[in-house]
Amino acid sequence: MTGVELWHRVQQFLFREARLLDERRLQEWLALYTDDAQYWVPYAWEQKSPKDHVSLFYETKSLLSMRIDRLERELSPLDSPMARVNHYLTNVQVDAVSVAEGAELDARAHLLFVEHRREEQRWFAGRASWRLRPRGEDFLIAAKRVDLLNADQEQGHLRFAVPF
Amino acid sequence: MREENGSKAYAELVGRGRVHRRFYTDPEVFAEERARIFRRVWLWLGHESQVKNPGDFFTTRLAGERVIVARHADGAIHAFHNRCTHRGAEVCPASSGNARNFVCPYHAWTYRTDGSLASVPLDQGYGADWRARMAGLRLEPVARLASYRGFVFGSHAAEGESLETYLGPEVRAAFDNLVERAPDGEIELAGGRTVQRYRGNWKLQLENSIDLLHPRILHRSAIDAADRVDHGGQPPSIEWDIVKSNGLTLREWDGMKIAAMPGGHCWMAGFLTKAIDENSLQARYRKMMVERHGERRATEILAFNRHNTIVYPNLFVNSRVAQIRVLAPVSVDCTEQHGYIFRLKGAPEEMFEASVRMVNTNNSPSSIVTSDDHEIFERIQQSLASGRHEWVDLSRGLDDEDAHSHATVGTNELPMRNQHRAWAQYMAASSP
Repeated sequence: MTGVELWHRVQQFLFREARLLDERRLQEWLALYTDDAQYWVPYAWEQKSPKDHVSLFYETKSLLSMRIDRLERELSPLDSPMARVNHYLTNVQVDAVSVAEGAELDARAHLLFVEHRREEQRWFAGRASWRLRPRGEDFLIAAKRVDLLNADQEQGHLRFAVPF
Repeated sequence: MREENGSKAYAELVGRGRVHRRFYTDPEVFAEERARIFRRVWLWLGHESQVKNPGDFFTTRLAGERVIVARHADGAIHAFHNRCTHRGAEVCPASSGNARNFVCPYHAWTYRTDGSLASVPLDQGYGADWRARMAGLRLEPVARLASYRGFVFGSHAAEGESLETYLGPEVRAAFDNLVERAPDGEIELAGGRTVQRYRGNWKLQLENSIDLLHPRILHRSAIDAADRVDHGGQPPSIEWDIVKSNGLTLREWDGMKIAAMPGGHCWMAGFLTKAIDENSLQARYRKMMVERHGERRATEILAFNRHNTIVYPNLFVNSRVAQIRVLAPVSVDCTEQHGYIFRLKGAPEEMFEASVRMVNTNNSPSSIVTSDDHEIFERIQQSLASGRHEWVDLSRGLDDEDAHSHATVGTNELPMRNQHRAWAQYMAASSP
């Protein structure tokens, strides 16, 4: 497989992940993650570890599944009415961790996230990175990290309902 | 509201078992709260572990005003306004660090870490009495500064009761217990902070944190989601436990002990699930505590089972999980809530990691628990203006209220009324 083919396949996969979030197909979105996946949105810029510093999100697949289950059952005032979201990915790059067939690879992109809910639209810019585990012709996400440019802004953030 | 009858009129916003909606919605009331409450009382600034060494400093807000807290070369801690006495620029933009001097970026007026003015460029241009005038151009000190067990408080009021008197014995016990839970008897603030913002009045959070009728109802979606998690034979995560712990029945919440104290302070008993207390990490920690203090004293320290101790008007202390939250009101309809964690010196590092994960779960803007609270606060703020009905009801438990016996059943709204009585007392007095 050429570099262009790999890049194309990874990019299509990342676009699919974004689309599942945007279309609110959250169980299908979660199915893209490995059972041991980590989903991390650090609080500090260039944060080194989620263990010794607070995070905006630091979740296992089990915690993500609890979050999504809650959103999908629509019992929470937090998510009623549901937010409409768009994920925009640009600057997609692929770094192969190893040249071995079937080895994990890293992808990164710039992320723009726009959310509309209850008469308000807000947006976040950030840098996303993924550790991808090949599964046949496809991939699974073993880890995703999103660094928001304003993660640590002094005035804090209004609540986040839907993952980035 | 006219100034001449203002004080009386403010106090009248708090009635028997009810408060007027302007208590939450009137910008003029908010401005007066700042002057009469937040500029008068002791407010938490930080912890001495943030300024361990000479030159260490951090910046924060005190009743909305920007201040620097620094440890000077002689070891004393100082707090002063982050505002150059020359033209008014912020002299220290960093959130924390170590500095020999604070140098204003505009004209290089240079201050020592005790706030005194050390030098200015071309000082011959300021006239013959410049040396004498320099003493009066130090960074303006915060009017009063005091520490209790390493917790640093400041007050904008030059006069008033001592910090220890202000806190009172039952609040001091929460700080004592937080320090005593460290096997080495020492704690340090670490791990950054969370900042949740909501578009509602600050008092909504103050009430909510002692409101035991709401968790089972408002947080139902999170509790139900936790109930449906399949752990696959693995022990549940600390995050899951935190969410699940809200799932007591209404009857169980009603059976919890709460207490209201003079000055508007209050506390509630602990309610975390047994899983959080009865695991191998806790067993290891308990053994360390027994080795240090002996069985009897260790048991006494660990038996102190409170959730929030709420220090009026804006601080929540939880010694059991080594956390502090503080409310920073921004405007009448916007509030920040800051969450901080402490590392217990001598305890297993995994306990600190568990505290980090607990704060992520409860006090990150992504929290599936407190985000529901904040959503409700925003809806209250939006809806209060509607209709002709002027009052908000806080009458639960009013009939059997003994204003000064203060321990009562969990869902009694006594602690909220106690907060608002303190509010009315502060607001009835003119500003300091």
